[in-house]
Amino acid sequence: MRLAGGFLAGVALSSTFLGSGIGSAQQLDGVPAKPKGYVIYAAEPQVIKAGRPSVLELRFQVREGFHVNSHTPKSELLIPTALKLQPVDGIKAAEIAYPAGTPYSFSFEPNEKLDVYTGNFIVKVPVVAVAGEHTLDGSLRYQACDNAACYPPKTLPVQVVFTAK
Amino acid sequence: MKRMALVIVLMVVGISLMLWAGWHNLRERKLAMQRAQENKMVLVPEQGGATVSPGEGDGPKMTGKAAPGFTLVSLDGKKVSLSDYKGRPVLVNFWATWCGPCKVEMPWFEELRKQYAGQGLEILGLADDVDAGKEAITKVATRAGVTYPILLTDGKVQTAYGGLDVLPMSFYVDKNGVVVVQTAGLGTKDDIEANIKKTIASGGAPSEPKKMQMSSVPSLSGEGKTAMKTVGTGAL
Repeated sequence: MRLAGGFLAGVALSSTFLGSGIGSAQQLDGVPAKPKGYVIYAAEPQVIKAGRPSVLELRFQVREGFHVNSHTPKSELLIPTALKLQPVDGIKAAEIAYPAGTPYSFSFEPNEKLDVYTGNFIVKVPVVAVAGEHTLDGSLRYQACDNAACYPPKTLPVQVVFTAK
Repeated sequence: MKRMALVIVLMVVGISLMLWAGWHNLRERKLAMQRAQENKMVLVPEQGGATVSPGEGDGPKMTGKAAPGFTLVSLDGKKVSLSDYKGRPVLVNFWATWCGPCKVEMPWFEELRKQYAGQGLEILGLADDVDAGKEAITKVATRAGVTYPILLTDGKVQTAYGGLDVLPMSFYVDKNGVVVVQTAGLGTKDDIEANIKKTIASGGAPSEPKKMQMSSVPSLSGEGKTAMKTVGTGAL
């Protein structure tokens, strides 16, 4: 009987590793078939400590040649980049932390100082989560421009898959 | 012996259940990651200030086609229709308060409007982001020194003009109501002037005799700008 119990525990452990191991390898799967936006969300599963304050990191990349306003643009007329997450049972999220932007000016308007994200940027979400597998759904709203044109605001769906243990 | 057999059966059932749970967990995570991956999006940039020709890009292009008619409300609350300007060259310019390049060309439009007023040129600025509010739109237009009519879009006019996936977007409409040039993004002032000249020259004589009359054209200031207006029959 003791032998059977030990065997069952071993199988349970290996089945957990089976799931999490392949799960983390999945981040490399999938290449966008059809371009649709100016910002890419690098979806990757994360692991945090259950019941303790932890930080989820959401990695974004602004396509080369474009910029988006930071979360705190210098003009009230500009549309800030903002992440919205839907509340989920078992996850307590604190205030989202945005990175600082970098100064930018259009070549045709050098005196107008903007505050933008270019390249990679990370948005951090402080959370406390109960043990288990979690999925947070949300969206990133942003408005992009290149050096000669601007594009209507877009909403990028975001899904954060993580394990608290 | 019987007890041993029972233990083995329980073990087999237990293993099966756990394997199934592991497989199910894996499948769910795969699906979740797949959904997340589908959200990765990339777009190819538009060419700034580029002239858009028919057949280029994915969206419908207007060059060579009749300019879709519209009736919109100006900042001073007056109804303004494209057909009000029938027989005159009109530059229909879509812009937004959050669009830096749009604000650069607005003073140029104002200057060129005065320069080509003798040839009947009118410029209509269509604010694409009505949700920003009249106050914000007025603030930007005033700061740019605009006195030509600024109209509040209704969501339908953008669709009629092919959907606006880039700003600024301009349509140069000749006296016959045909779009001569469509541009996307910021061009140079010289480009804009060349397009205006092309639009004024296009279409030859109006297809129907027009009666010239003095008319009040709505303006941003709300005072109503007095201008020569050509009145004809039919809509643009």
